[in-house]
Amino acid sequence: MKVPRNRLWTWFAATRVGKSIFRVGPPHSNLERSQVMVSSFLLHVQPAKVNRHSLRASYSFGLGLISLYLFFILCATGVLLMFYYVPSTTQAYDRMKDLQFVVSAGLVVRNMHRWAAHLMVAAVMLHMCRVFYTGAYKAPREFNWLLGVGLFLTTLGLSFTGYLLPWDQLAFWAITVGTNIAGYAPLVGSKLKFLMLGGNTVGQEALTRFYALHVIVLPAIAGLMVAVHVWRVRKDGGLSRPEESPDSVQSIALGELPTNKSYGLMELARGTTPQVGQDPDDEVFSWPHLVFRELLLFLIVVAFVLFLAVFWNAPLEELANPIHPPNPAKAPWYFLGLQELVSYSAFWGGVVVPALIVTALVVLPYMDRGRRGVGHWFARERRIANTVFSICVAIAVALTVVGTMFRGPNWGWVVPWRTPPPTLEGH
Amino acid sequence: MSPEPPAETVVSRRTFFQLSMGWIAGTFAAAATAMATVRFLVPNVVFEPAQQFKAGSPEDYPDGSITFLEDERVFLVRRGNSFRCLSAVCTHLGCTVSRADRGYHCPCHGSVFSPEGTVESGPAPKPLAWFLVTLSKDNRLLVDKNQFVGPDKYLIL
Amino acid sequence: MEGGSLQRFYGWFSFLCILVGVLAALGYYRDEYRPWKQYQRRFINEEMRRASGPEQRLQASRTPFEIRQILLPELNRVDRCTTCHLAVEDPSYGGYPQPLAYHPLHDEHPFDKFGCTICHRGQGRATTAEDAHGNVAHWDAPMLPLKYIEASCGQCHESADNPAAPRLSRGSELFETVGCRGCHKLGGVGGAIGPELDRVGTRRSPDWLRAHFLEPAAVTPGSGMPPQKFSEPDVEAIVLFMLSQTGTDLPGFYASMKVIPSAAQGRRLFQQKGCIGCHSLGGQGGKIGPSLDDVALRRKPEWIIQHFRDPQTVSPGTVMPRFGFTDAEARALTDFLLHQSDQKTPLSIPALMSPVDRGREVFRKYGCAGCHGPEGKGGVPNANAMTAQQVPALTYVADGYTKPEVKKLIVNGQHEIAALDPSRPLPPLYMPAWGSTIRDAEIDDLVAYLFSLKPKDEKTDF
Repeated sequence: MKVPRNRLWTWFAATRVGKSIFRVGPPHSNLERSQVMVSSFLLHVQPAKVNRHSLRASYSFGLGLISLYLFFILCATGVLLMFYYVPSTTQAYDRMKDLQFVVSAGLVVRNMHRWAAHLMVAAVMLHMCRVFYTGAYKAPREFNWLLGVGLFLTTLGLSFTGYLLPWDQLAFWAITVGTNIAGYAPLVGSKLKFLMLGGNTVGQEALTRFYALHVIVLPAIAGLMVAVHVWRVRKDGGLSRPEESPDSVQSIALGELPTNKSYGLMELARGTTPQVGQDPDDEVFSWPHLVFRELLLFLIVVAFVLFLAVFWNAPLEELANPIHPPNPAKAPWYFLGLQELVSYSAFWGGVVVPALIVTALVVLPYMDRGRRGVGHWFARERRIANTVFSICVAIAVALTVVGTMFRGPNWGWVVPWRTPPPTLEGH
Repeated sequence: MSPEPPAETVVSRRTFFQLSMGWIAGTFAAAATAMATVRFLVPNVVFEPAQQFKAGSPEDYPDGSITFLEDERVFLVRRGNSFRCLSAVCTHLGCTVSRADRGYHCPCHGSVFSPEGTVESGPAPKPLAWFLVTLSKDNRLLVDKNQFVGPDKYLIL
Repeated sequence: MEGGSLQRFYGWFSFLCILVGVLAALGYYRDEYRPWKQYQRRFINEEMRRASGPEQRLQASRTPFEIRQILLPELNRVDRCTTCHLAVEDPSYGGYPQPLAYHPLHDEHPFDKFGCTICHRGQGRATTAEDAHGNVAHWDAPMLPLKYIEASCGQCHESADNPAAPRLSRGSELFETVGCRGCHKLGGVGGAIGPELDRVGTRRSPDWLRAHFLEPAAVTPGSGMPPQKFSEPDVEAIVLFMLSQTGTDLPGFYASMKVIPSAAQGRRLFQQKGCIGCHSLGGQGGKIGPSLDDVALRRKPEWIIQHFRDPQTVSPGTVMPRFGFTDAEARALTDFLLHQSDQKTPLSIPALMSPVDRGREVFRKYGCAGCHGPEGKGGVPNANAMTAQQVPALTYVADGYTKPEVKKLIVNGQHEIAALDPSRPLPPLYMPAWGSTIRDAEIDDLVAYLFSLKPKDEKTDF
């Protein structure tokens, strides 16, 4: 059927005002499709064309994007929550109750924030695993991997600082345990703990500091690192992908690229270039292929977080009571593996193992010189690396599961399906 | 620049339906989220002294007295068995007026008000407001700062 | 984009957008249409039905739907109970079903100064019935069952001799006479065998407390506390008194009425403050100030109250010190002085009593009866103790000990109690060291009392 073109939009886009805002209208030709990526502020971080392989959901599962979207959701809901929350030991808990009882949609927004936070920690971890298993940390992406490790630690920091803010028993004791683990570091441990808490105990000073870290310092750091991280993805040639079979292309190795040349629509990065005479089916325009998929994924993430938020409530226990620790006092789930280790040895479990993990992650791309197996999941050439990594992940998961389910009062063993739930004392 | 797109395009009915659905659904999602966000930001309770408050029982106020209630920023005026309540907030820029020998006087910019609250001199643009005074069910004076009345409206017991 | 995948995109896009919209609307709807709105609707309908004319009906119909709250910054709480309990101040709603019932209360406790949860407990900030009534997980202060409401009076007011809370007073009296202080500290005074009771009202529920009094070992395994033989009213009374121990810190206004202006509490105050040192009453007392026997005939009540507030203002040049009484205390003392003829029991004034009588007071004050039985008669079980599995009675202490030996025992205590059967656990009850708690002069009086316990006509056989 014939449908009149949107006259209003066309007229507006042709006016001076319209032309001053939208430099390129909705694209209808390949030229326009390329232009819109470069001309638009919101879209210019994307390449004009993207490799078809990168669009495969089964390759990356969109985990990096999911992490980013969860970050956006957390920022948006976080700002909304800031309109009602007060970081004071006498008021914080009451404000959380007000969010639940008095603020319209307050419970939903708080739930969204909490579930998005847990999901983001999980998504970031899964993203790290994906990058490892596809060898996407190898050259030229070593620095991007480092940025990723930094983002991982920042995410943990954001979750940890946010955990304290409700000022309930769960928050207070989780942070007490967490900062005690930090205090075990040799030489700097007690000073580090003093710096984190702004004192010797978890009190108003700690709450103020954690709030400042949580709402401005760590998000700013995360935002900056994300920007560089995404920019590096593009500069390193997009997502990692399998090497093309040698006979389909003539790869022209380029040395140092002259920096005074403008590249316009050509996607150039050191080491990979658009190949002359290459089969054009490998590359597709970002508008609409990449952008529309990104939009859909965003909607899926939002819908999922909303779904969790509407039907499951984030926990809020009793008001924080420094003289009445729950037994056992547990750290947030992503630190429970550490807490399990610490229960064996404070030094080895709380200091050495985390330090080793972070060091291993940081040096990994520089130690691994092999170039084979990039772009494939569980590539045979990387059997050893994959196996070692998988074992480490399995141990971490096992420790976390033990810490969550199999540890009870006094950090003793419990069998969760046989122990009756504890009766409330005095009731 | 590409050539002007044609004034009409040929699309299938199916595509038209999908496009419309897409726009409607998108608008619906955006609108629902925006409305919920705005409603979220509108406070349902305020942590201030309530606009309606009890000013004690009538016996607390001697005959002929003008009592300043500090937290509520009002004067409670009793003459005989009639009660009135005058706002102590200057209509110029919001300072709290004080009692003068006759009437009221604002210390910030010098507005002078008569005992009936009208402006005698100074920059105040409007007279002081009188609030509705009623008797609550448990025999207390109930002042409602949301309801303005004329200076000749008394609660007579 | 090929036609097919574009169509798939539009399909998914529309579906997801609708899903997001529906979920957002659902979340918002859940918060906008809270149950309290229905209760307010019910109230407005009732007000409209009762309206005496069309103008009142219109006025009632215009009542806005809103959350109502009572701000209590001094008590650090916000009570939103009146969001549903809309007619608490309207006597004409007496007898209506909750939540629209009228709440009769003492004139001295206006809602806007006290709110609801300070007496009834519960979760004041909540706006749903179940959460507000507090019987939910992670809320330590559920609403008190109505029969225990007198416990809340004890948070602000003196429990003993409380004319408005007779069951609470009984509980306070029981606490002293049964001798709970012998093992439990309250207000810093008492033994250290059992836990301190200053906040027991917030830690334990009424049911737990009741079970604990009747059979302590059933709720606290290994407890040495002997089961208490209370009658049913007495169990309720002592539970009430325990519930009143919440350790709440009260700011100025609320603490000013600790003493209730009543003759009974005025009498307590009179005994505590040592007025008898200067004034005589009932033939006893000092001669520095005038006798108070007929003060009712000589002075008006307002004069007496002002005299308590500041003696110099009504009696210039007087040597009576300014005690700094609160208004309530002044009124209580005045009430007592004006109604002396109503007093049935004589005043107990330490300076005028014999050492034995004073010792009896000390015995009572520090709860010795809790372990040694009323008047030291014994009968309190102490599992596996060599002394016939009981705490020894004190009736014959004069026969077995010298006065210095008894005094030493009281001061130093005896931590190790000999066990009857070494293979079983040690006896749970022991003698605490009272030297740091009981003053020296008091101990002498106590010893005198103990030595007086032996029945007079018995002779020592050995």
